Amino acid sequence: MSGVPVLEAKGICKYFGGLKAVESVDMQVQKGDIFGIIGPNGAGKTTFFNMCTGVYAPTKGEIFLQGENITKMAPDKIARKKMARTFQNLQLFKFMSVLDNVKIGCHTKTKTNMADAILHTKRYKEDEKYAVEKSLEILESIGLADYKDTMAGNLAYGMQRKVEIARALALDPVILLLDEPAAGMNPNETASLMEFIKMLNGKGYTIAVIEHDMKFIMNSCNRILVLNFGQKLCEGTPDEIKSNQQVQEAYFGKGIVAGEAVKVNG
Amino acid sequence: MEYILNQLINGICQGSIYALMAIGYSVIVGVVGMVTFTYGEIMMIGAFSSYYIFTGLSNNLPLAILGAFAGSFIIGSIVYKLCYERFFNAPRHISLLCTIGISMLIKNLAQIVFGPDTKPVLNVIDNTTFTLNLFGANLNIRLLQIVVIVLVIVFAVALTLFFNKTKWGVMLRAVSQNKDASYLMGISVKRTALLGNCIGCGFGGIAGILLALYYGSVSATMGASYSTKAFAASVLGGLVDIRFSALGGLCIGIIENMGIIFTSATFRDVFAFAFLILILIIRPQGFVSKKGARV
Amino acid sequence: MMQQAKAFYEKYKVIILIVLAAVLAILPFVIKKTLYIRYLCNIMMYATLAGSLNAINGYSGQFCLGQAGFFAIGAYTGAALAKNFGISFWPLLIVGGLMAMVVGFIVSLPTLRLSGIYLSIVTLGASEIIRIIAQTWEPVTGGSMGIKQIPYPEFFGVDMFKPQNYYYIFLALLILFLFVTNRVLKSRVGRAWMSIREDEIASKSLGVETSRYKSTNFMYGAFWAGVIGVAYAPFVNYIEASQFTTDTGFNVLAMVVLGGQGTLAGPILGSVVVTVLTEALRFLESWRYVIYALLIIFMMWVRPQGLMGASNSMLAGGKIKVKEEKKKGGEAK
Repeated sequence: MSGVPVLEAKGICKYFGGLKAVESVDMQVQKGDIFGIIGPNGAGKTTFFNMCTGVYAPTKGEIFLQGENITKMAPDKIARKKMARTFQNLQLFKFMSVLDNVKIGCHTKTKTNMADAILHTKRYKEDEKYAVEKSLEILESIGLADYKDTMAGNLAYGMQRKVEIARALALDPVILLLDEPAAGMNPNETASLMEFIKMLNGKGYTIAVIEHDMKFIMNSCNRILVLNFGQKLCEGTPDEIKSNQQVQEAYFGKGIVAGEAVKVNG
Repeated sequence: MEYILNQLINGICQGSIYALMAIGYSVIVGVVGMVTFTYGEIMMIGAFSSYYIFTGLSNNLPLAILGAFAGSFIIGSIVYKLCYERFFNAPRHISLLCTIGISMLIKNLAQIVFGPDTKPVLNVIDNTTFTLNLFGANLNIRLLQIVVIVLVIVFAVALTLFFNKTKWGVMLRAVSQNKDASYLMGISVKRTALLGNCIGCGFGGIAGILLALYYGSVSATMGASYSTKAFAASVLGGLVDIRFSALGGLCIGIIENMGIIFTSATFRDVFAFAFLILILIIRPQGFVSKKGARV
Repeated sequence: MMQQAKAFYEKYKVIILIVLAAVLAILPFVIKKTLYIRYLCNIMMYATLAGSLNAINGYSGQFCLGQAGFFAIGAYTGAALAKNFGISFWPLLIVGGLMAMVVGFIVSLPTLRLSGIYLSIVTLGASEIIRIIAQTWEPVTGGSMGIKQIPYPEFFGVDMFKPQNYYYIFLALLILFLFVTNRVLKSRVGRAWMSIREDEIASKSLGVETSRYKSTNFMYGAFWAGVIGVAYAPFVNYIEASQFTTDTGFNVLAMVVLGGQGTLAGPILGSVVVTVLTEALRFLESWRYVIYALLIIFMMWVRPQGLMGASNSMLAGGKIKVKEEKKKGGEAK
């Protein structure tokens, strides 16, 4: 592997009181990866994402974005460093149009302040033009251009997920964190989403994705991190993961309780 | 020094009334899960119920307390039906505005029905003053103050017992912690919330009668400034914790009375608010360690 | 029907607005009764004040209850400076606005860490503190006596004393307010505010500096409340602390909510309804407040999003309610 990893976590931990939600996890996402994070429910995947994006401050450990330490940075600062994310349970701006949703994604790329807005200065005009063009371009590529004036909350569930991705793309991210993008989608939608994510990756976006859909993960990711009870079980290519005994134990058990398996791995 | 100690006594006495107000308030907020702006008017209703018992029947304090409790209990159930029951799942500001509306309604109706002027509540309790000589300072404690403090303690203990020892009390606590789970456990959330709201209002009514006794008067507009104090006090308790709310009430009472030593009495309300804002800046969740997340 | 009206409006927007402005401009010549002009002045003043509150409550979703405080700051700044230093009305509009804005900034500092009801209470508390200060700070505010005989503004030698003339001040301020606010809302700033209203965490994740925008939102609302406060003082000619109680704040809030939060036209409509109602019901004396209170409760029951609000607006809770009711299953009605 060459170069500085796009996103790197070094031994990060998050404790909620006595609960060790995430326990010293290391991770490196390289440029161009589709990096999958899997694990049973409650394995700490979303907590891990929340730490990366600054929603939670890690109890211990450090996070680097393109070599820059972003530990304990506020979420909006991290977004300015071009890390974009989507949410597990859809946090769209439901009562704004699809276009406006994506336009907010352009927030960091534009600079209009209140005076500009009132006086309609050149900066305002340029920014609006940029925001509209950029948003339409993204919506076009994601196939939602027809719905640009629809209220986001009125769209079908699968489409709402896409709007959320479109919104994140407007940040021009160096890395895109997708938290269960296929949750609640039917198999057809999942398949088209998978294609879409691969297409994004082909365009040069680096993507980290949490997903439960194994087919999705195994077919599209080139590296996978497996978490279980907040700890890193293993990391590797899909084939390595498939053949890894610990992973199989975590998912299917081996006749003893899963907790035992964790202890064995220390 | 003498003055300061006497103010401290006044502060404790007033603070204990605030504590009772705050207890009622946090019961309401805890069980219903929504804040209310009607509380001041509830207290006013309680105070007026007692006033009419005093003037119409006799100077019987227990009877008046019962009357105040009943009066505000009934108003509480009306408030619940109008402001909360429908809006459990709606955005918070809707029920909040409803309570503002009810507050205006009760206040203005009261001015029409009870009359706009201030009415005296006198001679219910003998105007005896005990003087204590402590380290050369003369401390004046009125019988009224002792009665007030004792009553507050009695009611606080009674409520604690109710919450911990009775089936309804346990249900109320369950609802205040988690409505969905309580519902799944077979508790009728709406009925329990109604009861909680009414009990909270009943305590507000009792606080109202204590205020009437303490200041010797009742008026239709008396509620406004006290409702914010009740709120301030229960914010200190994280809005839902009864013990800390009571402590908050006591604190506000003492701070107010200490504060006016240095300035004029018109600034009384400023101290309560400034203290509240200060607390919210330093420790938004109040004294309690757990955050009262629902509101 | 609604759709058609909307489409029609979109098509002839500019013409409609110009005609409307022209009609409003000639009204003082048509209506001869000074009293009615006074009512119109009141309506426009409250429309702007309610609009300034709506800029906070309706767009960034912070539930401010203390607009009366900012209003008072503007009124007292304008009145005191005009009376004691003879400063002209027009620069005072800005000065009063800025003063309120500074106070708005200070109030917004603790509220940045707070949300929901805590925020509301801080704003309420701040408004009460301002009122009590106004009531006691005698050298500047005249204490409980208030400030009397505030100088009337002059416009190129024309004394604005008559309501017929004052009418134009309020009209101009209202139009200016709507124009500016409309532009702000349709820009990056307005979108940032609305995104905070809808989902603050998501908004942060997209790089919106939510604290800063919440703060500027507060300052914006406070600024306009201050400006209209400056204009209000000479109009009534006499201000005192009891005009700025929390009830005044609630009254303005009621206008915003009755009209429809999060819409530009809502507060105007709300102001019309409330002002007309309170004047028309004057013969009922104190019963009119009872009716007013009942109206608020009634509106919350049947149309919580306000007269102008869309049924699917965030603030109506229509949809959210339906969804959550489903989730909650068949809880006993």
